[in-house]
Amino acid sequence: MCYPDNQEDLEVKKRYILGLLSLLAGLTFSQQSPFQQRVQQAIQSGGSKYAEAMKQDPDQALCSQYRDKIPAELVPAFLERQRKLIKYPADGKLMGDWRLGEALFTNPRKGNCYACHTGDPREAGAGNMGPGLIGYGARGTSEAVVKYTYDKIYNAWATMPCSLMYRAGYHGILTPEETAHVTAFLLDPASPVNARR
Amino acid sequence: MRNRSLLIGFLLALGLGLSIALTQQELDPYKEAERQRELFRQTAGILPGELYAAQGEELFAKKRGPRNVSLEACDFGLGPGKLEGALTQLPRYFADTQRVEDLETRIVSCMVRLQGFRLEEIERDEVKALVAYVASKSSEMPINVVPRTSQEITMYNIGRELWYHRAGDRDMNCAICHESYAGRKVRLSPVRSPRQGLSNEWPAYRFEADKLYTLQDRIAFCYESIGIAAPEFYSEPYIALSIYMLAEATRGKNRFTEMPGFTR
Repeated sequence: MCYPDNQEDLEVKKRYILGLLSLLAGLTFSQQSPFQQRVQQAIQSGGSKYAEAMKQDPDQALCSQYRDKIPAELVPAFLERQRKLIKYPADGKLMGDWRLGEALFTNPRKGNCYACHTGDPREAGAGNMGPGLIGYGARGTSEAVVKYTYDKIYNAWATMPCSLMYRAGYHGILTPEETAHVTAFLLDPASPVNARR
Repeated sequence: MRNRSLLIGFLLALGLGLSIALTQQELDPYKEAERQRELFRQTAGILPGELYAAQGEELFAKKRGPRNVSLEACDFGLGPGKLEGALTQLPRYFADTQRVEDLETRIVSCMVRLQGFRLEEIERDEVKALVAYVASKSSEMPINVVPRTSQEITMYNIGRELWYHRAGDRDMNCAICHESYAGRKVRLSPVRSPRQGLSNEWPAYRFEADKLYTLQDRIAFCYESIGIAAPEFYSEPYIALSIYMLAEATRGKNRFTEMPGFTR
């Protein structure tokens, strides 16, 4: 943690270790350490809009604390909390209209899925941060596959804590009905994602 | 007749080949930037970044502000008026302002302390031109940001916290893309980590936006694209993230690109 690991600047090191000790003491005695308070102060200096946008929910805070790799013993409770956040369409249908799903998949303000995934193989500008989804429908449309796909789109953190994929349904970017449309875009045999090539 | 259809076939094939070549060129952002840069060189004879730098040079040398002095006495950390390589060691701690400052904030400090401007009357476009000018004196030099003072180390640590701070309705932080998935692409844009040199091309002219972006502008753009309102210019989040990224870029033994840079 101590940055200057290859320097002789002992005075700085000494001060830093003292700072670290007081930081640890702070952790023990109060909820927010002096360092955390200092980080908050820096965030506040960015202005009220930034400070407001940087507020976290408890699991965002947990991911940040553990640098996106939470300890194994915290994973089951994390997944359970996230699973409880998933909502389903009133009619109970988890596969909607793939055509509507295509637009939602593409729209940068909605799914924005091409930022990270392939989908329709004709889309040349797809990113590759996430797994490619061409031919995703090959796994069939069993109840388990449809539910897994729906859940993943609605709340990615319910299967993978702190993953890059954001919780589109939980945050209201996709409604349950819209999530079902995107699910259909991936699974419907008629969708271009699953076109025979 | 036969010759003619052969010729047409040949032209069609040529056209197809060319259009494939063009598409491929557009799909590679680095090649596309290189192509755009050459177009500017050929048609205008000068790059937009150089124009900004020239404008900044004029502003730098001119006697301005209530005290009617130039910025030639401004100390960027290497001594008053020493600009050669100044960007390479910023952000750093300055005893006179008792703050860690990046290039943009330092320019603002000098405009206030030397020239006597009031903070609220300083124009962003002037600061950007001045940034372009001072940066042009560090073109292609090795980055050399090593936090040493307690203030610099604290600022680096704050930057690291912000780097991992997940927030907003896209659940993002900087690290999840620029660390965990560095080397991959968002859409067509390759994503780098600080160790791989992220932040080494700013300030730069972005041809897609037709504007000069400083590092603060670029960080603001990043925040906005992940649905988080950007901090106010010259505030601590910029300085913290900059010192974090540039210190990591230093550890990765990276250099600045040509300054100002030219990118998409």
